[in-house]
Amino acid sequence: MATVSRAQVPAPAQEQSEARSRFGIPWRTIAIYVTLLIVCLIVLFPIYWMLTISFKTSRDIYRVPSLFPQAPTLINYETLLLKKNFLVNIRNSFIVASAATFVSVFISALASYSLVRLKYRFRGAIGKIILLAYLTPSSLLFIPLSVLVAQLNLGNSLHGLVIVYMTFATPFSTWLLMGYFKGIPPDLEEQAMVDGATRFGAMMRVLLPLSAPGLVAVGIFTFTGAWNELLLALIFITSEDKRTVPVGLQYLITGDVFLWGPIMAGAVFSALPVMILYFLAQRYMVQGLAAGSVKG
Amino acid sequence: MSKRNVLSRRALLGGVAGTVAAALVAACGGAAATTGTGGGGTAPTQANPFGSTVPTATRPAASTAPASAAPASAAPSSAQATSAAGSATAARAATSPAASGPITSTGKMTYWGGLIFSDDANNLLSQTVKDWGRQNKIEIDVVMINQNETNTKVAAAVESNTMPDALDMGIDLMLLLSNTSKLTALDDLYAKIGAAQGGWLKGTEDATAPAKFGGSRNGIPFGVSGNLLFSRKDVLQKANVQVPKTWEELAVAAEKVTKPPLYGMGLALSNVGDGNLQVSVLQSWGGRIASDDGKTVTLKSPETKAYLEWVTGAYKKGLFPPGATTWDGAGDNNAYLAGQAVFIANTGSVAITAKANKDDELVNNTGFSALPSGPKMKISSFGPNVRAIPRGGKNIDAAKALLEYLSNPDFLNKYYKVAIYGPVLQNQAKFDAFADPIRAGLLDLAQNGTAPGFPDVSNTAYADFNNNFIIPKMVQRVVIDNYDLDRAIDEAQKAGEAIYAKYK
Repeated sequence: MATVSRAQVPAPAQEQSEARSRFGIPWRTIAIYVTLLIVCLIVLFPIYWMLTISFKTSRDIYRVPSLFPQAPTLINYETLLLKKNFLVNIRNSFIVASAATFVSVFISALASYSLVRLKYRFRGAIGKIILLAYLTPSSLLFIPLSVLVAQLNLGNSLHGLVIVYMTFATPFSTWLLMGYFKGIPPDLEEQAMVDGATRFGAMMRVLLPLSAPGLVAVGIFTFTGAWNELLLALIFITSEDKRTVPVGLQYLITGDVFLWGPIMAGAVFSALPVMILYFLAQRYMVQGLAAGSVKG
Repeated sequence: MSKRNVLSRRALLGGVAGTVAAALVAACGGAAATTGTGGGGTAPTQANPFGSTVPTATRPAASTAPASAAPASAAPSSAQATSAAGSATAARAATSPAASGPITSTGKMTYWGGLIFSDDANNLLSQTVKDWGRQNKIEIDVVMINQNETNTKVAAAVESNTMPDALDMGIDLMLLLSNTSKLTALDDLYAKIGAAQGGWLKGTEDATAPAKFGGSRNGIPFGVSGNLLFSRKDVLQKANVQVPKTWEELAVAAEKVTKPPLYGMGLALSNVGDGNLQVSVLQSWGGRIASDDGKTVTLKSPETKAYLEWVTGAYKKGLFPPGATTWDGAGDNNAYLAGQAVFIANTGSVAITAKANKDDELVNNTGFSALPSGPKMKISSFGPNVRAIPRGGKNIDAAKALLEYLSNPDFLNKYYKVAIYGPVLQNQAKFDAFADPIRAGLLDLAQNGTAPGFPDVSNTAYADFNNNFIIPKMVQRVVIDNYDLDRAIDEAQKAGEAIYAKYK
């Protein structure tokens, strides 16, 4: 009886509170969907604007401020890909961002493990120094870095840029992974070591697989950061055939002239890999996080 | 928990190792490949000029040979043209102090050309430099640097001792580098080029006078930039308004033609280079930034107040487009190209863009004239762009020979036809490049314009003052923050004093 009364009592109250529209849809639901729609419009409109501009002629961009291209054209993509060799920029960014990401995530995983699991003097201070290294603005570091890069003969090279990016990506990844590793009970690795695994084996077989969502998240953040980085690439890369995507886009602005059509086409092109990566990895991250939530 | 939901160790390690290896190989491989094909080595580009131990390769005096010696067949058609154009200079170079002997280089040379909007101009410059290298059997890497990024790149290169052998720059950067002794004195080359081409134009001569640049000529001017007044002829005709000769007339004309979204005064009042046009307007009212010795800020004056009253009055009448106080460097261009501004002050890039956009209506209805004058004087400021040679380089003689080669009349006539620069030498005034209306305006500017900063002293403090956009900020204080005129002027005066105090 008690169960019945509990089920029955709230029902009228819920019905009373949920006023419905003439189509029978609760106003609350309508409000939620309208809010979501507005948020989606705010988020998606710049992307739509970017797309629509990329299909407009240069004249129409300035003179016909319409929501849809009046005379759709692929001329901006043609300019970008054939005259400006933008695919070379994409290739360079991909090489630099992926190399910097994988190397820094690998190093960071080892560093984070050491800082979280091992006990030695000054490890707290080292952790803070790593955070400070990440927090230092790159605009303050570009002069000292340029001296180092020149002395190491790494100027105007993609591998030089990978190493430069690692100076920012590694502290960032380490800091993020430290937080993630702290959330995983050490008992699991200790269990593996009791069963005969070495410490390194326990880390590789137990900790890292359980940390897959964290590794992926850190990887995505690092990749995106390296993909979008402009200042250092602008300083350290000189040759046209080694420019990364942000530098390539920057070079579409000369003086006070903005080539809006090719810039927007370039923005579409450069956004695609990151969007795809997020789409794929987000799914994987959700799976991993769900797996982690039922553990233990 | 399903095991499928966890990334397997083997898969993780395999993926990481594979991708890292591939990416690193690609990074290194890509670099190596471009070194070979592009001739633009990776590290050597920056490291060679000052840091490498590449042995000196002394070349025979091929550069001084007649044009027939140049491997013209190896160059594309535009290059052939420029090869021929440069032949006379190559021959003349034989007699120059800089190139009286064989031109030698230590390792690969690097030249940073100034990238401008015109692809034709960029390609012509790049090809001409390469031709020079080919003729002299000198390996030279030409890198076109976006002028928006030159300062940042030079700052890093100076600190890391990786400056190129020669580079293009604006006069402000030359001032900065000259005052820190980072440039090679080029007095001999400057005099020689001037003597060969009828002498330098007076404005250019004054603007690069040694007194302002550490006692020497530290750059070879190759073109002047400055603002012209662009106006919509069709709109003015419809309103029966003449092209204004004074700023006050311009405001009156603007009032007649302003019908939002079309605004009369498409002038930036924001914290960008274009916003500093207001410094010239203020000076044309008789206002001054500093005293005649360039050391004491004298902004607070009745003339400044009269100017500020005029400009803020025009703003309050709605003659400026919305957002003029926050425009970026392209704000006036965008407004004009969108058909939303009747008058703008521009270097000429907007006309080239309109032409490139095939906006015939705008192209055919755009008029060009000199900037208007103020109640006290006419300030139509221009700035020479120069080619310079960093101090301490290992290829200074070769770089001098290159700069002389790039000053030859045939090349520059072709260059001016596709770039947007006014002339710097007397003989260049006769170039057919300056026949078209925009470039005729630039010629007029080069001949009759006022030197940078005039009537103020264009020193480092003045450059710093402008870099802090004190005058546009003063205007913003009145039109945005509702300061009264005196309070805005007082604040600007104090800000200026703080800047000038740094250089006393």
